[in-house]
Amino acid sequence: MSVDPNAPTQGGFPVPPGAGGPPRAHPARYLVPALVAAAVAVGLGAYGKVHDPEGTAFNLAGFSSTGAVKSWLATTALGFAVLQVVSALMVYGKLPGPSWSAGVHRWSGRIAFLVAVPVAVHCLYAFGYQTTTPRVLWHSALGCFFFGAFSAKMLLLRVERLPGWLLPVVGGLVFAVLTVVWWTSALWFFRTFGVST
Amino acid sequence: MKRSGPLFTLLAGLVLALFMLSVNATSGTGSSSYSDTSSDASEPTASPTTSAPGDRPSPTRTTTPTPSATPAKRPPSDARYAGRTDDDSASVAITLRDGEAVAYFCDGRATESWLKGDVEDDGSMRLTGKHGAKLDGRIVGDKVRGTVEIRKRTWAFTAPKTGKPAGVYRATTEVRGEKLDGGWIVQADGSQVGILTRDGEPAQAPRLDPDTGAVALADGGRLTARPVVP
Repeated sequence: MSVDPNAPTQGGFPVPPGAGGPPRAHPARYLVPALVAAAVAVGLGAYGKVHDPEGTAFNLAGFSSTGAVKSWLATTALGFAVLQVVSALMVYGKLPGPSWSAGVHRWSGRIAFLVAVPVAVHCLYAFGYQTTTPRVLWHSALGCFFFGAFSAKMLLLRVERLPGWLLPVVGGLVFAVLTVVWWTSALWFFRTFGVST
Repeated sequence: MKRSGPLFTLLAGLVLALFMLSVNATSGTGSSSYSDTSSDASEPTASPTTSAPGDRPSPTRTTTPTPSATPAKRPPSDARYAGRTDDDSASVAITLRDGEAVAYFCDGRATESWLKGDVEDDGSMRLTGKHGAKLDGRIVGDKVRGTVEIRKRTWAFTAPKTGKPAGVYRATTEVRGEKLDGGWIVQADGSQVGILTRDGEPAQAPRLDPDTGAVALADGGRLTARPVVP
């Protein structure tokens, strides 16, 4: 029985077994997440740009318009995203939190993502990628970027021996981008048309 | 010990997206409104209509009366309303000017109607169109609520007050002996719906640029639509 005295210390996140090997993941490990992220973002943007906006609207009972449905879905996603940040701080021990905060983090993230998907589908299907005004341009670009960044975050979770700062940075980026995407759409909608259902 | 949870998350999102796309694609003929979010720009058409004090914020807005606070004792002399039927199958837009109203009902495929009439001092209106089409409406606060009846079918609708470039547009012209008549409703959110009738055959209209009124036809021709005023 021997303990490697040079093994990297455990920085709050579980370090996989056999961590005494190379202290950093090989750069190629980031290649797949980065390529997938780029492919997702560029693919969404290209789809939105190439296909003709259909303009069709699904609607949910009780809502006055598709815009209202999407705004509330997006706001729900942002709410869970805020929970993401809080639970992540708990997981990393920056905030006092229960032992199940990791579960909260996983599931609030899943819910936020799955709530955001219908919004994106409608945006891309009905509106497409548009650049007519700065608001629309930022929303289009960052909306595509968000799903790329989220894919990268998901795939990075599977990469072993990441530098400790990487996941928080990518996660924070995902959150920041989602905030801007929400700001340029749902907040704009609520401020333009009133907070309505 | 690779975590597969993130993969399942991504997969679930992909499946959900594909599912919604297929639903959209198969039921996609509901309201063939187009989208255009360029509605923030001003409208340089030669229309003499002045912008209604709608609830769209614009840089030039100074004192917009809170619409809901005014229970419309007298109807506004100049206003635009655009909304949808309660079943979301069609759009309705109404333009008011000096006690007269013109309305357009359009489902984006085959059913459309132009209606005209007077607006009473209490804000109610009974507009009529071709083939016995009727629109009964009333201005309540900043909205028009009412019903449209076309060929024995009745739709209830709500049309909130709006401003440029939302509203009703029409283009009528004759190209090489072919009569073209197009009507469009641009909603406050920038989406639009329209019908272009060619020699009596109604069909979904190509997109209208609300800023210029330009319409590019599939055969390469161009139309210019103008805001409709009574």
